[in-house]
Amino acid sequence: MADSELAQLELFAEIDELVRRLRDFVEAESAWEPLGHCRAILRRLLGRVETLRIRLEAPLVVATFGGTGVGKSSLVNALVGRECTRTGRERPTTTLPVLITHPDTNLESLGLPLSEFEMVRIDSPILRDIVVVDCPDPDTSEGETAGSNLARLRKMLPHCDVLLFVSTQQKYRSARVSDELQQAAEGCRLLFVQTHADRDSDIREDWRRQLAEKYAVPDVFFVDSVRALQDQQVGRRPSGDFARLQDLLTSRIASSQRIQVRRANLLDLIHIAIAHCREHVAANLPAIEKLEAALETQRQRLHDAMTARLRDELVASQGLWERRLLTAVTERWGVSPFSSILRVYSGFGNLIASATLWRARSSVQMALIGVVQGTRWLSSKQQEREAESSLQRAASSLGLEDDLLRESQLVLSGFLRDAKLTTLSSNSKTVQELRQEAARVEGQFLGDAGQRIDGMVENVAKRRSGKLIRAWYETLLLSFIGFVLFRVLKSFFYDSMFAEDLRHDPYLSGAFYINAGVIFVLWSTLLVMMFTRRLHRGLQRQVDQLAADLARQRISAGLFPAWEEACRDIHLHSETLDVLAENARTVRERIATPVQFGAAR
Amino acid sequence: MSSTYAACAEHVRRLHSTARQLEVQSRLLQLPPLAGREWFELLERKLLPQMADDAFLVVAVVGGTNIGKSVIFNHLAGCRASATSPFASGTKHPVCLVPPGFAERHDLPSIFCGFDLHEWSRADAALEDHPEHRLFWRTSDATPSNLLILDTPDIDGDVRVNWERADNIRRCADVLVAVLTQQKYNDAAVKQFFRKAAEEDKAVLIVFNQVLIPDDETFWPIWLHTFCQETGVQPEFVYLAPSDRRAAEENRLPFYVGQVSNKPHETCSLKNDISALHFREIKLRTLRGSLRTVLNPESGFPAYLAEIERRSAEFKSASELLSTHQLAESNDWPPMPNSVVVQEVRLWWQQQREGWTKKVHNFYNAIGSGMLKPFSMLRNRWQGERTPPLEQYRQREWQTILDTVESVYERLRWFAELGNPLLQPRIEKLLGGRSRVELLELLKTRHDLTDLEHEIRDLVAIEMDGVRQDRPQTFQFMKWIDHGAAAVRPVTSVCLFVTGFGPAGHAVHQVAASTALQFAVDIAGGTVSAVAGESAISGAAATSAGFFEARFRRLHARFAAKRASWLARMLKEHLFGDLPDELQMATVVPQSETFQTVRETMGLLESNL
Repeated sequence: MADSELAQLELFAEIDELVRRLRDFVEAESAWEPLGHCRAILRRLLGRVETLRIRLEAPLVVATFGGTGVGKSSLVNALVGRECTRTGRERPTTTLPVLITHPDTNLESLGLPLSEFEMVRIDSPILRDIVVVDCPDPDTSEGETAGSNLARLRKMLPHCDVLLFVSTQQKYRSARVSDELQQAAEGCRLLFVQTHADRDSDIREDWRRQLAEKYAVPDVFFVDSVRALQDQQVGRRPSGDFARLQDLLTSRIASSQRIQVRRANLLDLIHIAIAHCREHVAANLPAIEKLEAALETQRQRLHDAMTARLRDELVASQGLWERRLLTAVTERWGVSPFSSILRVYSGFGNLIASATLWRARSSVQMALIGVVQGTRWLSSKQQEREAESSLQRAASSLGLEDDLLRESQLVLSGFLRDAKLTTLSSNSKTVQELRQEAARVEGQFLGDAGQRIDGMVENVAKRRSGKLIRAWYETLLLSFIGFVLFRVLKSFFYDSMFAEDLRHDPYLSGAFYINAGVIFVLWSTLLVMMFTRRLHRGLQRQVDQLAADLARQRISAGLFPAWEEACRDIHLHSETLDVLAENARTVRERIATPVQFGAAR
Repeated sequence: MSSTYAACAEHVRRLHSTARQLEVQSRLLQLPPLAGREWFELLERKLLPQMADDAFLVVAVVGGTNIGKSVIFNHLAGCRASATSPFASGTKHPVCLVPPGFAERHDLPSIFCGFDLHEWSRADAALEDHPEHRLFWRTSDATPSNLLILDTPDIDGDVRVNWERADNIRRCADVLVAVLTQQKYNDAAVKQFFRKAAEEDKAVLIVFNQVLIPDDETFWPIWLHTFCQETGVQPEFVYLAPSDRRAAEENRLPFYVGQVSNKPHETCSLKNDISALHFREIKLRTLRGSLRTVLNPESGFPAYLAEIERRSAEFKSASELLSTHQLAESNDWPPMPNSVVVQEVRLWWQQQREGWTKKVHNFYNAIGSGMLKPFSMLRNRWQGERTPPLEQYRQREWQTILDTVESVYERLRWFAELGNPLLQPRIEKLLGGRSRVELLELLKTRHDLTDLEHEIRDLVAIEMDGVRQDRPQTFQFMKWIDHGAAAVRPVTSVCLFVTGFGPAGHAVHQVAASTALQFAVDIAGGTVSAVAGESAISGAAATSAGFFEARFRRLHARFAAKRASWLARMLKEHLFGDLPDELQMATVVPQSETFQTVRETMGLLESNL
């Protein structure tokens, strides 16, 4: 296989791929109005692309286009070399489009609405590779009513591959015709012809200037159709511009160029449609961005409210902090005299706390108690909440009050409306649903906060219970125990045996033990208190730090996950559109367009 | 004749000025502007200048691009007054030939109002692009007296401003020289232009230019027929100009009379035919034709009036929907906590005390609150810091405000979807996120700033002063009891404290002080029945209790109404803005005096037609 052929096939594959991706894009769902609009456009485009692809190999459809009386039919006759369509001096002459084909051409393969045509079959060399359509004019009808020339013309245009834009000195700046051409030129190659060369002045220079703004104009032909036809009828070869035009249509549009023309048309169509869609989306995207900013603001508001409440409660729950820290420290220290003492104290504390815990007022306190210990409590709380969610939940435990939720919804539905996400905005939530969402958000927040609190507790416990500290407290405690033991041992071993003065009872009395016990309790309490004080130091700052950390953190989901999801979706689609546009552009640049043809810019 | 003429001129003037007034009055209805409406342009450009000054005819050469209008104009001028070019859309500004002395006798700018008049200097000036509408005029000896002959821009090219200029010339013209060719006689743009001319009853001369003689001999009558049938034009004369570029350029193009005959064509002079036209008849005809268009019930001034009426009615329903008085309902307003009201009433009552009563009560109140302090501190410790009742009320009120705002937005949404499409952009703007954020922020700050205590104090003062004036006996009676209470205050206070009622009462204060009767009792220091004998007050209290109950209710209702109207005012100022007022104003246009004047004037003109 030759390289060029391979490249050709590759190009086809790329176009197929492009069309496939377009189809995928069209089939996806979106609640956003502008995207719906784009999909509608692209869906129509795909229909046209499909017919184009089906008849990629069929003869090119060359159609005349121009105001009434400019000599479209005369030009067709001259091109074919025979009188095959009616010309006249009354306006308009042609009302039904005339389809002129070679007798061998398979009409079915063209995909044309054959019932709309007047059919002429002529054996002419020019018709071997193309079919010619003589179209009605766009400028005698005042509106597109059924059966008017304009309506017939517009029905024809999507089937044409090449438009012969015919005009005259009188009509080349006619507004109606140029407006119509702008629509018609989408997905068509163009050839420009000035007729009436026998009577009119050459205005091609001015015409080209007018056209250059919107179209690529490689060539403008200046022809005298009547004379050209006469020449051919008497067997003379036509000359000048007409000969060039006839040559272009007869020999240049060989079967290879035919595919090139169609492919160029197809890509033009895709390019135009996607460009239009992108423009439409881009015009509406700022509203989506505003919505996202608003969602972010509202999310931040919730987050701030929750953080503030969390902070307040953490500061208020001093007792819980103490126990939590003590537990952490004793766990770190393992078994030792002072840690046993600490454990005993915190055990007492927990005993009292457990009573209050079961009626703990807030989930913040729960988070403070810690993940491990709190799991059981949390699950029971969860059940409670589920039961509650169907009823009225009195107030949020984290400051997400109904007002806040409702304000959020009120503001956001306004932005939703701005962004034309109307289908979403109509199903706003009830207060109950909002509360459920809030509970979900709180759950996530608390889970996160709980972990951080655990980390913080660990951290504080570690820093405040270093070896030196431990040694110091252990020593203080042990020194008392040591002293008591010393006294006991001394009185037992020494005083009883070696004491000279036996007037006294050498053994320690019961009162000593009682006193020692009492002092031990007091001493250990003092030590524990000192230690917890130490643990407490700077706790406020730590909590503030924690709150600030939490405030800086972005929460993953807000109250309205569906809306957030929709925004993300829209961005995704808009990016897909950009990628498609880029694809279309590269493919369009790579294909070689036949240079003789003009086209819309 | 001339007297009716003058009267008509007067009516036309009035019609024009009232039309302008109406436009200003009804601008809120967002109707398309008057300028650009065919009837109004005729009124302004044709009837207004020409009713008063009718001694001339305006002849305009009109037609599509590049079909030789300027050639024919030059023929009429007898010289190359207008430049010709092989390229289309050459002539961009009209050129006018004026008979000698005309400019001195008439006011040209008012005849061609809307055009910037320039004296002709060279033929190319009219070809130059310029954003403003210009008109070049020159005095020409060859022009028959009392004729203004104009060359106009095209009516079908891609330079749309040319159409506008041609339309304006068409409106003030009396005679149109329609230049047609076989390519363009059936073009939509051409047909539309001449159809309007026919409706305005202009005299039309048709020139078929670039005719192939003798080939087109059989065709031009068909062209003429089609053209007349499509447009309704009834031409005065028909001419044929052969397709002869050189003759055209040299300004010696022959004109043949367009008649169907076998004889060779006879040349004729377009100019002579034009000067031989019946001036007065044509003038009257075109003025009448224009007046008919102005008074046309389907497309003229009456249609404009109908439009105003219809839209005004639409706006009326919109206006009713948005009326602000139903925005905030005081029925749904949360009640002010009784404790707050009672507290305020007590304060008011304390201000009414005089002399020793005041001293005694103040002394014991001070002692009482001092002794109760530990209890309240204990309570705070036990139950947590309690939100003051006024703050609780503020929160409840905010909820109600949110409810109202939500329902207002709901109503607006409904309105935007079903209501007037003209108002939709404004409503959409109100419904947008930005507006909501701003409104909520504003309401929140204003609501937080509102001094509720001050509000209720003012209201209590007004209401209680009312009581003092309406029922002086009751007031005196209460005062008397108060004196009595002051006399035995040491006893009662000690009793109450010892029995524990004081502290307990303080703790359950909010629940206990919830009925109006207790409020009445409270006024007397909370101890009335203990002091005076049951029988002594039963008579008075029974009646005054009912009275106070009613007063109390009224106080609540008044307060709710006051707050609700505050919200309504805020919403009106900061959400709707001028919209309801504007709507209201827009709905009264059809009842205005101007509207009636127009009706009458049109009736008068109708009878003169």
